[in-house]
Amino acid sequence: MTAPEELPKLIDDCVHCGFCLPTCPTYVLWGEEMDSPRGRIHLMKQHAEGTPLTPSMAGHFDACLGCMACVTSCPSGVQYDRLIEVTRAQVEQEHPRTRGERAIRGMVFALFPYPRRLRALRGPLRAYRRSGLDRAVRRTGLLERISPSLAAMERLAPAPGRAPRLPERVAARGDRRATVGMLTGCVQREFFPGVNAATARVLALEGCDVVVPRHQGCCGALSLHSGRADEARAFARRTVEAFEGVDVIVVNAAGCGSAMKEYADLLSGDPAWAARAEALGARTRDLAEFLVELGPRAERHPVPATVAYHDACHLSHAQGVRAQPRALLAGIPGLTVREIADPEICCGSAGTYNLFQPEAAGELGDRKAENVRATGAELLVAANPGCSMQIAAALRRRGEEIAVAHTAELLDASLRGLGRAGVLTQ
Amino acid sequence: MNVQEALEKACPDVRSGAAADAVLGVRPRWVASPGTVAEAAGTLRAAAAHGLAVVPRGAGTRLGWGAPPRECDLVVDTRRLDRVIEHAAGDLVVTVEAGLPVDRLAEVLAGQGQRLALDRPLAGSTVGGTLATGAAGPLRLLYGGPRDLVIGITVVRADGEVARSGGKVVKNVAGYDLGRLFTGSFGTLGLIVAASFRLHPLPAARAYVTARVDDPHPAVQAVLHSAAVPAAVEIHAPPGGPYAVGVLVEGVAAGIAARAEQVARLLGPAAEVGDEPPAWWNRPPAAADDLLLELTLPPAALPGVLAAAGEAGAEVGGSAGTGRLHARLPASAAAAVPELRDRLAPLDAGLVVRAAPPGLHAGLDLWGPVPALRLMRRVKDQFDPGHRMSPGRFAGGI
Amino acid sequence: MEEITRALVDLLGPGAVITDPVRLRTYECDGLTHHRATPGVVVLPESAEQVAAVVRLCVAAGVPYVARGSGTGLSGGALPRTDGVLIVTARMRRILEIDIANRRAVVEPGVINLDVTRAVRSEGYYFAPDPSSQQICSVGGNVAENSGGAHCLKYGFTAHHVLACEVVTPDGEIVTLTDGPGYDLLGAFVGAEGTLGITTKITVRLTRVPETVQTLLAAFESIEAGGVAVSAIIGAGVVPAAIEMMDALSIEAAEDAVACGYPPGAGAVLIVELDGPAAEVEHQFAEVERLCRDAGAFEIRIAADDAQRALIWKGRRSAFAAVGRISPAYLVQDGVIPRTALPEVLGRIDELSRQSGIKVANVFHAGDGNLHPLVLFDDAEPGAAERAEEVSGKILDLCIEHGGSITGEHGVGVDKSRYMPRMFTDIDLDTMQMVRCAFDPAGLCNPGKVFPTPRLCGEVPGVRKGVHPLVEQGKADLF
Repeated sequence: MTAPEELPKLIDDCVHCGFCLPTCPTYVLWGEEMDSPRGRIHLMKQHAEGTPLTPSMAGHFDACLGCMACVTSCPSGVQYDRLIEVTRAQVEQEHPRTRGERAIRGMVFALFPYPRRLRALRGPLRAYRRSGLDRAVRRTGLLERISPSLAAMERLAPAPGRAPRLPERVAARGDRRATVGMLTGCVQREFFPGVNAATARVLALEGCDVVVPRHQGCCGALSLHSGRADEARAFARRTVEAFEGVDVIVVNAAGCGSAMKEYADLLSGDPAWAARAEALGARTRDLAEFLVELGPRAERHPVPATVAYHDACHLSHAQGVRAQPRALLAGIPGLTVREIADPEICCGSAGTYNLFQPEAAGELGDRKAENVRATGAELLVAANPGCSMQIAAALRRRGEEIAVAHTAELLDASLRGLGRAGVLTQ
Repeated sequence: MNVQEALEKACPDVRSGAAADAVLGVRPRWVASPGTVAEAAGTLRAAAAHGLAVVPRGAGTRLGWGAPPRECDLVVDTRRLDRVIEHAAGDLVVTVEAGLPVDRLAEVLAGQGQRLALDRPLAGSTVGGTLATGAAGPLRLLYGGPRDLVIGITVVRADGEVARSGGKVVKNVAGYDLGRLFTGSFGTLGLIVAASFRLHPLPAARAYVTARVDDPHPAVQAVLHSAAVPAAVEIHAPPGGPYAVGVLVEGVAAGIAARAEQVARLLGPAAEVGDEPPAWWNRPPAAADDLLLELTLPPAALPGVLAAAGEAGAEVGGSAGTGRLHARLPASAAAAVPELRDRLAPLDAGLVVRAAPPGLHAGLDLWGPVPALRLMRRVKDQFDPGHRMSPGRFAGGI
Repeated sequence: MEEITRALVDLLGPGAVITDPVRLRTYECDGLTHHRATPGVVVLPESAEQVAAVVRLCVAAGVPYVARGSGTGLSGGALPRTDGVLIVTARMRRILEIDIANRRAVVEPGVINLDVTRAVRSEGYYFAPDPSSQQICSVGGNVAENSGGAHCLKYGFTAHHVLACEVVTPDGEIVTLTDGPGYDLLGAFVGAEGTLGITTKITVRLTRVPETVQTLLAAFESIEAGGVAVSAIIGAGVVPAAIEMMDALSIEAAEDAVACGYPPGAGAVLIVELDGPAAEVEHQFAEVERLCRDAGAFEIRIAADDAQRALIWKGRRSAFAAVGRISPAYLVQDGVIPRTALPEVLGRIDELSRQSGIKVANVFHAGDGNLHPLVLFDDAEPGAAERAEEVSGKILDLCIEHGGSITGEHGVGVDKSRYMPRMFTDIDLDTMQMVRCAFDPAGLCNPGKVFPTPRLCGEVPGVRKGVHPLVEQGKADLF
């Protein structure tokens, strides 16, 4: 991982041109310099030059969604991703959090990276939703803040038991073209098992043997993107170990893929793991990226529907994967794909952001919802579960419903000839 | 030293004002015709020392525009300042003295296949007078008016100091743009003695597409919103009709016919394509007994403006594309001006009386409402604290 | 400062007033980072009325104020005052009206330049001024700087595309400057670098999207050969939408940064873009291509579609930032010369570079003689910055010597005010400042910009007789 000593050099790359401003979600919301990438880099510089990390500084770093749109828009090649990662770690070390903040953060990081704990939460959540807001919970104010997202997940996820659990190995249909490992993720696995199932089927139908290691856990993305580096490294080592047997690791969640591609950097200080981490990162592919590299073989059947494709930040900005999902969708007969205005602006989901910064996340969700609505699409396609939940929740606040699907699910519907019903009646 | 001596010392060509030198009936005591910028500066310095009211004059073709001066001791005639200082053909820039007739400038430039993209104004008009009145014609649509083409200016201030702004390169943002400020200032801020302009290549070919129409508005809108890039979109609306629309396209010889055809289709089956402008093209009415009005409007307000002007008895024509029409109103209808102005206001349109017959000025508000007038007065106070430059000629009595 | 800060909070609410020192420092500079000053206080008003109220508070307290849009200026025009208020227009970003029938739009000053085009593109229109920073610079900033761009060769500058400005005057009054009767105060205001007031609403002209755009990239052995091509094109009576040139060093930088794939081995590349009616462009484009070949172009690429056009422009647009990758530090210069002086001035710049050992990369709007030499240096090397600054200054001297200007589009700001007396006489500057005195006699509106020395405005404008008392007492000089 980038060492704090490298910061001044990375900071110096910024020429203060401001090209990042219009793509920064918080600048778009508030129009304030210190809540723009340029301003945050300026704050990092102040800190690097000796200004103590003040609560206001920490607040502006916390307010960053980590969407990396600024990295895409920067003409000078400033590595804001590395800058904010180091800075977040500094914030965690130097900035005393209030008791309330500590409680929420503790809960989130004790829950989300652990699929089993998430699963345990699903039943009670459903009950919670049915019963309305529990008075005791409301008094703590804790779950009230995080509940909208959890409740949204629950609403969007199919009922437990109906989704098939993936076997350890799914055989290729027809001649085998590749053997791939598949990351099942945490939220994806527990709340969107259908996406994982679709991913495995699409890979198999395209001629891949799919290996789903039992002992995989969280990839560490959530921790990495929140300044909890040690925790992230532990998750990373476990993931590296789990996937060392396969040529390619296919990931269908944008945040996870981007974190895994950065493993080399994360574990660079650990001689025992550095090389292994780098090798794994180099073999990691987003599903769409991999399918386009592989080339289509299976027959595509029509899916007559109008969809809007949403760029997940960790796919478009962090991994530069924009063209591939569009190419895959364009290959589905009968499908009309609409572009969403301001595609580079984050929807506000951003990993844990909608839990820690609910107001900003809500506003960004509203803006994105408006742009999605303007496309007139009946189905929202995104490669990240957080985005879909966020946007669907924002639309629901406006009293509108939209179906959501992962790119994998649309491809699955097309490859299996399920038509509209494959994606629109879930 | 008396006034006469002081003026003669500064400028060898000083004479007494004649009846023909009167500015809207106000006869000057002296007329000075400086032949150099130094003489012009000396003249204004002498005028300042003796508190003379000064009216700058070029060929006098638009001296009847605006109001009569409250006083006029001295007319400064710029016509001896008529040199082409530099024509940098490779840079498409020319620098000239203010008294140079625009027609003569055009000849010089044409020799190099270039032009100042302003319509030939009234015969004999000088460069300085054109700037001072901000006068432009049909070509304003594509090339802008004098304010858009002037890139540098040299003026003699009311106190006789010579000041310059801008320069002789087109792209230049160093310092305030006095060129734009002096354009259209009617001689009230100082004396324009030289200016630099950006030039354009003379087009290889031109075509005028004209059509008689019942309603010019749809035709004007169609051409304006097309990709035809017209150089001018003009109308002619005599009282009682019929209306005519004329469009000028300019460009390379090989493409002009196709482009004219494209415009003709927009104007309808009655459209005709020709090499020469229609007779009414760029002809603001010049009858001395009538009022000459300028109507400014957003182009889409054309129907309302035509209706209002027609009901007031005005003959209308001009640049529908840029929203600058001229109108002739019989002097007998002068009383209708305030009412017409009131009718235009809700259309976001304005009315300025450019010229009026002698005797009508006193009872007539030539300019109408002038936004930011207070700031304008303060600008005047700075440049001409003694209020001696063309006093009373301009908006708000400036 | 404390008193006015309290009043500002009362006026705008705490959410629109920034006082925290760490936050304030993020506003210490605009796009030109070597001039820095932490503002006394920052406000983020949301309406013209709020701006006017802030200005009135400043006037009453005798506190200077500076307006700032997106903070992308390259001459320090929005450099704050440590003893003053920085008025940021970033929250005034509504497009108020789109009026296609009259080919105009009304926007607030914080609206981003490119957003105007985005809003009207579907109607077949765009906002013509296209500074390189158009994706982030604000229209209010464009008005202040009279911004141009690569395409201003044909389409002109912001001044040619602004029909009216609502302005908060330095008195705190809201007035509208138009092209109507009276002085062309609009013409004086645009490009006055925020020293005559703050615009709060701008009516811009919209331009019809051309029927055809044709773009070519021509590679030459040398800058001189490229210069010959430029002269030939202009001499042939063609007015391209843009003619841009880059030299070998800037090509190298752009290649490193964005892999634009310019022809290898080029000593210079020329980008020529024509637009307009197809019937016009086709013929002229063939001629341009021929003229480039005649001038010695060894490779010509013609963009077949928008994607290829974007690739051609990508290298040019990225050039400034890209130079950061080949040099630890650099100065961006902005000077203008008559186009015909290009070969000679470029030769002299080359000489300067060789004598000083300071590398200079050249990127320029060749069509209008607007040079952007990038003076490269290593800020870790003692004395290098000073030598670079010296080379940069000498380049401006060259521009003035050849009858050009010290700035074509970046503005004078705080950075170049010291060069103004090289281009203008004291009387010229004094005369310009008469306008300033008319608008802002108290000298509180963006003071210290454009002019090296403020003019004494006098108490009450009017008939001035005799010597000014301050001059008489030896306390001030009149020019």
